[in-house]
Amino acid sequence: MLMAVKNQIKVTLVSVKYALMREMLNKWTFLMNVFFMILNNASFILQWIVIYSLKQDIGGYTFEQVLLLWAFTASTFGISHFFFRKAYSLSDTITYGKLDSYLVQPKNILISAITSEVDASAIGDMLYALIIVLISKLTMWQVLLFMILSICGGVILTALAVILASLSFWLNKSDMIADTGNNMTTHFATYPEGIFNGIVKFLLYTIIPVGFTNYIPVSVMTNFDWKLTLMVIGATAFWVAAAFAIFYKGLRRYSSSNLMIAKI
Amino acid sequence: MAVIEVKNLGKNFNVKLKEKGFMGSMKSVFQPSYKRVEAVKGVSFEVQEGEVIAFIGPNGAGKSTTIKMLTGILYPDGGNVKVLGIDPTRQRKKLAYEIGTVFGQKEQLWMHLTPYDNFKFFGAIYDIPAEEVEKRISELNDIFELQDIMNTPVRNLSLGQRIRCEIAASLIHRPKILFLDEPTIGLDPVVKDNIRKLIKKMNKEYKTTIFLTSHDVSDIEKLCKRVIIVNKGTLVLDDTMENLKYHYLNKKIVELKLAQKIDFSNVDGIKVLKQKDKSIKLEVDLKKKSLSDVWKLINPDDIIDVNISNTPLEEIISDIYKGG
Amino acid sequence: MRKYLFIFKAELMSALQYVANILLHMITYFIVIIIFFYLWNYIYDDPTQLINGYSKTQMIWYVIITEIIWNIVSGRKLCRRICDDVKSGNIAYNMNKPYNYIGYILSSHLGEGIIKSLIYITFGIILGRVFLGAFPTLNVLSIVLVILSLILAVVIDTLFIIFIGLFSLYIEDANPLFWLYSKLILILGTMFPIEFFPEVIQKITTVSPIYVICYGPAKLFVDFNLNNALNIIAFQFIYLAVAFGLCGVLYAKGVKKLNVNGG
Repeated sequence: MLMAVKNQIKVTLVSVKYALMREMLNKWTFLMNVFFMILNNASFILQWIVIYSLKQDIGGYTFEQVLLLWAFTASTFGISHFFFRKAYSLSDTITYGKLDSYLVQPKNILISAITSEVDASAIGDMLYALIIVLISKLTMWQVLLFMILSICGGVILTALAVILASLSFWLNKSDMIADTGNNMTTHFATYPEGIFNGIVKFLLYTIIPVGFTNYIPVSVMTNFDWKLTLMVIGATAFWVAAAFAIFYKGLRRYSSSNLMIAKI
Repeated sequence: MAVIEVKNLGKNFNVKLKEKGFMGSMKSVFQPSYKRVEAVKGVSFEVQEGEVIAFIGPNGAGKSTTIKMLTGILYPDGGNVKVLGIDPTRQRKKLAYEIGTVFGQKEQLWMHLTPYDNFKFFGAIYDIPAEEVEKRISELNDIFELQDIMNTPVRNLSLGQRIRCEIAASLIHRPKILFLDEPTIGLDPVVKDNIRKLIKKMNKEYKTTIFLTSHDVSDIEKLCKRVIIVNKGTLVLDDTMENLKYHYLNKKIVELKLAQKIDFSNVDGIKVLKQKDKSIKLEVDLKKKSLSDVWKLINPDDIIDVNISNTPLEEIISDIYKGG
Repeated sequence: MRKYLFIFKAELMSALQYVANILLHMITYFIVIIIFFYLWNYIYDDPTQLINGYSKTQMIWYVIITEIIWNIVSGRKLCRRICDDVKSGNIAYNMNKPYNYIGYILSSHLGEGIIKSLIYITFGIILGRVFLGAFPTLNVLSIVLVILSLILAVVIDTLFIIFIGLFSLYIEDANPLFWLYSKLILILGTMFPIEFFPEVIQKITTVSPIYVICYGPAKLFVDFNLNNALNIIAFQFIYLAVAFGLCGVLYAKGVKKLNVNGG
């Protein structure tokens, strides 16, 4: 069992390495992608300078906390898109019957299917998060906490993407639905928790998991709380379990490329 | 020993139906109705260890669907499948260690990597220790003659070279059964022949059971000792290659080059396929005329050249399709 | 008759697919507006408060309008299309046709946007009515002028993106240039009115395309004033001419370069 896990991790890492090599074939494009993503994230600082010039506290956050919020958004998005890039096109993989080659390998299908591509611009996201962490003068302990929470958040985002993509087992043309769902999370993740209330806030701790990827992490970074940290880890486990359950339930309905043929 | 056991296998697909007319297409948007298409219905067969078996049929006959159920890609809707005693849907991973697959045009290789790196990657997938992988790579290198292309990125290889690598990669874990779905599709005749030789060699050297689907009849004729034919989701024939030829070969093709022109056009049991001056091509129905009857019609002194052959397998198979 | 029915049906099906896609885009639009609704609700202490001369309701209406323009133009898609046209050589193919490439791409993009704009405008106005209850006071003349400036804004923005896209005749990839442009439009024009920035920046933005593409129509909608309207529309016509001119020059020069390469 332990051996199997070790081998799975080894294959996954080799997969990511090879995918990264492919992305770096064109060095100029690769660097541009990374650089522009950093610039892209940084440009939104201007938005927050304007907002903070109007009021000193936005949703209970200081300006530094908004930066930290952005760091979490960038790091979770970056981790998810770098390691699990294909979770965001899994819808097409399912619809066009491209799971076959993963199904005949003695490794976990879902993990193989979502780790065979990386996104260069996601490196820019991760670097941006790193830059904010560096300028935020965090303690070593806080940096470690930031990393753990970022990994949890990245995994939650990936799980959400997998669940949305798994709809393709049941529905035709659900790739747009998946895109909309994933974008929705990013939109909410860049604004402080305190400005929302009522039903929206409820949604942010349930079907839109921004509460666990961003809000609790930001609060834990300033006022450490064991219970809340464990809640994030618990939520991560829950989302992962749900993603696997739904994906494997759908997989029974997988029709390879046969349905395509039938349509023609 | 039977390595593949299939009993009463069935698979249905739901295909969205569009009713005729405008209201029909409105309805299909809001309340789609589905038609059940039975892709495979009640197929049963067994494959013995070390066999090379051809699994053929026209487009949409259920070949690929069956192969996908045998390899654990699709869930069957009915019946039983056991491959090496393993249920492909229940113990997918366990089975994956034991079988290899090459699906014609679907690439399993990383295009930007060299065959060597790809083999290493597949070695890791099948949990093969590093030294062992090296050993097997050099072995595959010898059999498949890959030395010239071993360090060229796959995307720079020709289609034939790529297929050779695909097959080699699918053997890195020494599978007991190899499933080949249209392995020679799109290749030129020389390369096709090359691939066939390799498949034969593999079967001999490793005792690998080979389960092959192909549209190319000469693939089947040159490789397989046994043929299973499916049509419209059902099994129409399961027989040895020899029996197939024997039972369906009651016709001979006779090509003659004669010194004198002879007219065969009104002889019962002989059909003139082609005649150009003194060269003639005949189809003889052995039920009505034996070959010796044919010789009696010709003056032996007039024969310059003669060539007798069987009806092409292609025709036999298409006859069976039509019958089934 | 049957064949016409068939064509009608096929077109209707693709239109329905198109509508479904638009509805999904609408969800994203809805979320953006919701977020700004909550943000300004938090920032404003009470409904009568004015920040930089804007009430809370006006601020949210402002974003509703600028986001409509942003979505109708959908610049990234347009820029990528032009870059692809240049790379694939499609643009050279278009050169010996009896029409101008700029006119072709402009009209095709605007034609594509027309249904989208009707849906966005309807949806945006319903959204504003439901969440804000109030509607800015506009008479027939002001509505006509707001719509005119809205159309001009979309056309000018499209032309500027074509201009940027045509740079791929000179440099390998014009997408980074577009990215820079879109960031400026988004942050300096779409999220906040010009008055929210320091005076130095204000001076620049009032003469920049941002003034005619985002600020102009949205400002007229939330706070109509005839003088302002005439001023903005006059400015838009100047920019329209400038944008056309820039595209024309860049295209003409680029085509010569293309001919030399092609010869």
